[in-house]
Amino acid sequence: MAFISNLLALLVMPFFLLGLVNRVKSLWAGRRGPPLFQLAYDALRLLRKIPVYSTTTTLLFRLAPWVFLVTACGSAAVTPLLGSRPLLAFPFDFVWFAYVWALGRVLLMLAGLDTGSSFEGMGVAREATFSTLLEPALFLVTGALCLRSGTHSLSRALVPELGVRDGSLLIWLCSVTTLFIVLQVETARMPVDDPTTHLELTMVHEVMALDHSGPDLLAIQLGSAIKFYVGASALATLLNPWAGTWSAVSVVANCTLSSLVAVIVGTVESLIARLKLRSVPKYIAVGLTSGAVALLATAWRTAGAP
Amino acid sequence: MLISVLLSLPVLLCGAALALAFRSNRAAAAAAISTQLVSAVFVLRGVAGLVHGGPALELSWPWPLPIGRIAFRLDALGGFFLSWSLPMTLLGTVYASGYLHSYFAKGRHGGPHYALLNLISVSFVLIYSAQNALVFLLGWEIAAVAAWLLVIWDYQNQKIRFAGFNYLVSTHVGLFVLVAAFMLLHSRTKSMDFADFSRFLAQPSPARGTIFLLLGTSFALKSAFFPFHTWLPRAHSAAPAHVSALMSGVIHKAGLFAFLRFTLLMGRPEEWMGFTVLAFGALSAFFGVLYTSTQRDIKRLLGYSSTENVGIAAMGFGLGYLGWAWDVPTLAVCGFAGGLLHLLNHAFFKCLLFYAAGAVYRATHTVDLERLGGLAKRMPLTATLFLVGGLALSGLPPLNGFISEVLIYSGLLSGSAPSASNNVALVAAAALLAFVGAVSALSTTRAFGLVFLGNPRDPSLPAGGDPPLSMLSPMVLLCAGAVLLGLAPEVGLALVRGTTALLPVHSSLPEVLRPLSALIWATRALAATLGLVLLARFWQGRSARRAATWGCGYTAASPRMQYTGSSFSAQFAQIFEAFLPAVWRKRLPDEIFPQRSGHLASHHHDAVERRMFEVLGQGEDFVTQTSSRIPEQPRFAFAAGLVALFVIGALVFGTGWPW
Repeated sequence: MAFISNLLALLVMPFFLLGLVNRVKSLWAGRRGPPLFQLAYDALRLLRKIPVYSTTTTLLFRLAPWVFLVTACGSAAVTPLLGSRPLLAFPFDFVWFAYVWALGRVLLMLAGLDTGSSFEGMGVAREATFSTLLEPALFLVTGALCLRSGTHSLSRALVPELGVRDGSLLIWLCSVTTLFIVLQVETARMPVDDPTTHLELTMVHEVMALDHSGPDLLAIQLGSAIKFYVGASALATLLNPWAGTWSAVSVVANCTLSSLVAVIVGTVESLIARLKLRSVPKYIAVGLTSGAVALLATAWRTAGAP
Repeated sequence: MLISVLLSLPVLLCGAALALAFRSNRAAAAAAISTQLVSAVFVLRGVAGLVHGGPALELSWPWPLPIGRIAFRLDALGGFFLSWSLPMTLLGTVYASGYLHSYFAKGRHGGPHYALLNLISVSFVLIYSAQNALVFLLGWEIAAVAAWLLVIWDYQNQKIRFAGFNYLVSTHVGLFVLVAAFMLLHSRTKSMDFADFSRFLAQPSPARGTIFLLLGTSFALKSAFFPFHTWLPRAHSAAPAHVSALMSGVIHKAGLFAFLRFTLLMGRPEEWMGFTVLAFGALSAFFGVLYTSTQRDIKRLLGYSSTENVGIAAMGFGLGYLGWAWDVPTLAVCGFAGGLLHLLNHAFFKCLLFYAAGAVYRATHTVDLERLGGLAKRMPLTATLFLVGGLALSGLPPLNGFISEVLIYSGLLSGSAPSASNNVALVAAAALLAFVGAVSALSTTRAFGLVFLGNPRDPSLPAGGDPPLSMLSPMVLLCAGAVLLGLAPEVGLALVRGTTALLPVHSSLPEVLRPLSALIWATRALAATLGLVLLARFWQGRSARRAATWGCGYTAASPRMQYTGSSFSAQFAQIFEAFLPAVWRKRLPDEIFPQRSGHLASHHHDAVERRMFEVLGQGEDFVTQTSSRIPEQPRFAFAAGLVALFVIGALVFGTGWPW
């Protein structure tokens, strides 16, 4: 049951969440906006197209989008998409998660360099730089959550715990902050990256997909959508008071909270301007710092506990 | 069976003598390769029982004073290192026969070079099976001098002589520290035997800490830990590719071997030692990886990445120390096994990367990132091999670097340290390791992307292709090894198992690995899926429509406009400016209508080396002057070094061969 629900969620929710973000942005801008499942229509359209490859590129360029999609699905498999019981759960799955994510990112970066375009090189360099700050933030938070919960698996570590006296509230707050920033950076959202900008010079994530077309482009878009859902559902699990137990309430709550995260992302994107590229590392450093605070708070917690 | 291991010594020495005697380079190569093959078989036969947890092999015989008694003892630790060191050297020698071909074509005699490669193997057998400080020092010195002579193969070039000299001085500074530690031990024990050292070191005493620090410093110099790494990038960029590969992947592992040897002799460590090793490893990994991000020279980049990787291994060992000191057996086993496995993995992918860099050098006569580009089309095999090595270097699944890092992570993140603050320190170390992994991915992407992808940046470079079979076959074997060790980590762990069994703690490797088996299976599933994707995409889209790269509206793009290495790392280097000092040399046009052309050059120096030279007083001039005092005909220095090596060897063996 859990297996089928997870698969269903993985098939439907990524499309829905991105549609929701776009709908929220449209509403803020006073437009009606595209249909909620616009990405699905785009997918069908892209599937029918015949890709065109740059003469500079090699096999790596054809390979990368699909590897990216596979790694996005791999990371989704260990994430508690519905609050508990992910497709796969094993000790230290969050290490696996981070490294599988990194593999997809590296391949996509190499595909960007494969075109020989300086614009794509620019995007790749930025993505690589930001990811160096992001990975330790992710490990600080997951490490802190593991120490707090005494487990080694993502689905258990994300179950919220809100004691004020033992500091777990602080750990929780900091983790939410960091995960939100990780979500924004990894899925190329404002204020880090503007997915709708028309200026290649300021793009980060989008510019790496400039030369991909047809089904390859679809693979990248789908992979990004899945990554967004993975991030949003991880955050939702951390917010979900019923997380950790498999029940209809918990599943519904997780889906609602994932949608809420999408609404917040859309709102932030509508109200805040994009940061200057030079300031982005500082923004990520906020995530890094709050991760470090979460980690330090675990020492307080264990010391304070009887 | 120890005699089987020691029998490889005369075989290797015979091979060296033959290589010197033959006039033909082909015959010299055959002599070196065949004797190394025979000795590798001898050694593998000897150590086969050890890695499965067999009893240690001992052998000793009386020797005239002042040595007294020469003792050899080979346990699982030595067996582990021997089991891959000799085969790796053999692969390097095979590679050398192809790599040096262009020199041979110009009439250069390769005999001494092959003889020295044999001597490297000799030094491994001596170091890894020594039970006596003098035998150990003999092996240590043979390795150091032979490596120096190998580095200065292209001795006509002053820069290369300087790099070699730099290495020679550094390695002997390390030797002095080591000798000091041994003298201290000798003064307390009146013996040069490791068993007597062990009896002294196992007791708590004020000298114990001093000796630990002295030995640690010496071994850190050997393995090029930060801040003792300054000789390494110079030596690696100067040496022929196979020498850099062997130095980085195999020879310098002797430093970490010696560290572990003395750890076992010393018995249960104190807590501060564990934290020292962990912090030292973390420092090395951090700075090593930072420096990889700005290098222009591929081989320098790979050199710095060695500093990073020994740092990662030392983090594992530090974790092991802490686990041992705290009596948390799983931590101890995780740490030591992870560190050892990382050393093995590093040998595989680092040798592979250096060999691939050598193939690039052979084809284009440069390893400068800013001048290369688009090589994947001309050298598809080398590109594939470099990519696999680079992904393994970044610790990405499903390759071998991932498994050893996971083992270290699983210890750091286990939360099983005795106090909360200790746990916090370990998780912080894990976050640092994550940072190191991410920067390493940045450097790999940068190096591979600039060298092999895009369009050629400099049309004046020669347009060579993939290397010949003699160079390709070692690379393919190493690449297969890197994939195999990633998909079937049991193979590598089986080699490590005997060593972890030497630790007097109540936990075993299978017990520690049980929680990780699901992760290993998940990695295999990922690999299978990626394999299917690769197969599908290999055929699909080959005949698709082709067009120029989208130029964002600009139609006159040229290869010179591609993103460069320095622009790639500019933002990253800016964030870490404090650790990556940049030097700008510029002359900017100032008139309204500039008449003179300006220029701008940026360069990232090694902060430690710069400071060191500043302290020396006259900066770089001092060292260049010193090195220019080396006789103008360095061939004499080369010959003198060789003669000295043989005379010393002959004296030692001539004075007291027992049979």
